Amino acid sequence: MKPSYDRAFRPLQNGMICAASFLVPSGQRSEWRHEWNAELWHVRHSLCECGGLPWPAQRQITAFCLGSLRDAMCLRRESRRAQQPEPRISGAAEQCILRLCTLLLVCVVLASLLPGVQTVRDPARFQVNPGVIFIQTSPSADQFSPSISPTLFLDWKNTRQRYFDEFAFYRTVSEPASLSARRARWSVTHASPNLFSLLGLQLPFDLGGSADDGATPAVILSYDSWRREFASDPGVAGRLIRIGDRAVRIAGVMPYGMWRLPGTPDAWLLEPESRLADASPGARGYLVAHLSPLGQSWMNGPSVPITVRGAEDPDVEFYAVSFADRLRGPGGIFTFAFLLALLALPAVTSVTMGESNYSSHRPSRKRTLLRWAFLLAKFVLVAAIGYFASLDLAWWSSSNYSPLAEFAQLVWAFAMCLFGFRWALADQRQRCPVCLRCVTHPAQVGLASRTFLGWNGTEMMCMGGHTLLHVPSLPTSWFSGQRWLYLDSSWEFLFADSCLY
Amino acid sequence: MPQEARLSHTAAMILQAISAGYVYGFSIMEMTGLPSGTVYPAMRRLERDDLIRSQWEKQSIADAEQRPPRKYYRLTADGKATLEASRKRYPLLERLISAQEANSL
Repeated sequence: MKPSYDRAFRPLQNGMICAASFLVPSGQRSEWRHEWNAELWHVRHSLCECGGLPWPAQRQITAFCLGSLRDAMCLRRESRRAQQPEPRISGAAEQCILRLCTLLLVCVVLASLLPGVQTVRDPARFQVNPGVIFIQTSPSADQFSPSISPTLFLDWKNTRQRYFDEFAFYRTVSEPASLSARRARWSVTHASPNLFSLLGLQLPFDLGGSADDGATPAVILSYDSWRREFASDPGVAGRLIRIGDRAVRIAGVMPYGMWRLPGTPDAWLLEPESRLADASPGARGYLVAHLSPLGQSWMNGPSVPITVRGAEDPDVEFYAVSFADRLRGPGGIFTFAFLLALLALPAVTSVTMGESNYSSHRPSRKRTLLRWAFLLAKFVLVAAIGYFASLDLAWWSSSNYSPLAEFAQLVWAFAMCLFGFRWALADQRQRCPVCLRCVTHPAQVGLASRTFLGWNGTEMMCMGGHTLLHVPSLPTSWFSGQRWLYLDSSWEFLFADSCLY
Repeated sequence: MPQEARLSHTAAMILQAISAGYVYGFSIMEMTGLPSGTVYPAMRRLERDDLIRSQWEKQSIADAEQRPPRKYYRLTADGKATLEASRKRYPLLERLISAQEANSL
């Protein structure tokens, strides 16, 4: 009987181990099979010593071999688990900072690609000489209007002045322009030759001789008209075009964003002052003046009235108006929006962190500092994102100075700071003060109808087993805000399942 | 300081058996009465977590005794510490498997 049993069961038992070995990952298969075969030999030997290999012994050996299948499957599962990426811990503080940094990076990259944003962030490009002002009949520094006649400009320029040491004039009219075979209607600014030197704008090209010398008048193209009419041709300088009834020479292209004075012309035509005076009697333009040291001492505030002795019309009042607002960079606008958002923050959210003194278990001083540092980092990143994103949105398509774009930047920056800070505080209130992870698994506790007997609201837990967060549904005099319940180490076993076998 | 792993009773029994001198799979099965499908997977996990370490017997020793070499298991330092903690958790562990039994075999 013994040999027949053995002949029947031995191939079956060996075959079971061999079949199970194919479930084992190939790298471990050889050693695994070696171990199980060795163990099988010892099992057989052990049972043989106990008196041959009858039916019960063969059953035990077969049961032993069946265990190899379970072992192989366990190894296979372990191997697959090891190949899978680590499960992500959702809501970790590092993830939050990383996401904000990524968003900031996108905004910064976008800002570096948009020419409008580059211009507005480079104040050196549009800064003018100190002491340059407008003279107009309106005292408003927000609304500039062409109100000065060319004859008045010439009259003042040729008269000795105490408060001003130089004047320049420009006026913008719509004129036909002939560009080779094409005709267009342009907005052309006729300016006195000293306009750009008075302003102190450094044009990157030579304007050439003045028209007084009999030379062809020089015209400066705006960046937009250069792109629109000349397809951004780099060799446009020196070309002759006709504006109105005159042939003019293109001196160059105004750098992007340099012109911040009122008006958005397609071209600037520098003309002799005598020709400016030939304009129709009703023509009005902008008078730009440079204050003398005495004038600068009198220029207090954005707008100062000017007394003109011997004026033709005594009812007309003149004002010296500063346009410094047009020359401020985006930093000032953002600072204002930032402070405004900080002031408005308590109106849109609670600024408390939901701390309470109801628990004796408190996080360590280091943890508390880390928590505040995390909140500060979020605020800084949100502010930086607000700065760059508001610039991107406001100056997305603006090629020239635009009060509308500045206003848009103010609104965007305010909205982003306000709602960003609101989010930062709300997010902080949902994070465990110990591990800074978001609390999860909200559970409704209590009944609203029993508010006066006990609290009802939502309870959330920290997956690290550090805290429970209680948020009341109806704020009451004894439970008005959310509360943290710090759990001691006796709770840990509930949250440490991965440690158990 | 690494956190001590909390063991199930089965895993603690296997550790105790190895500590008591039952150093290969079949002897552990015999001592604990656990089936092979429980003992071997548990030993793999214990080895994965550095609580035990395995070593193949020298071929020369096995050849001298005319049998295949076996894989022996022994406790690591972490394994000893974990077993110590498990003994507090399962006070009857030492009574179930004592070192004298292994030595007497």
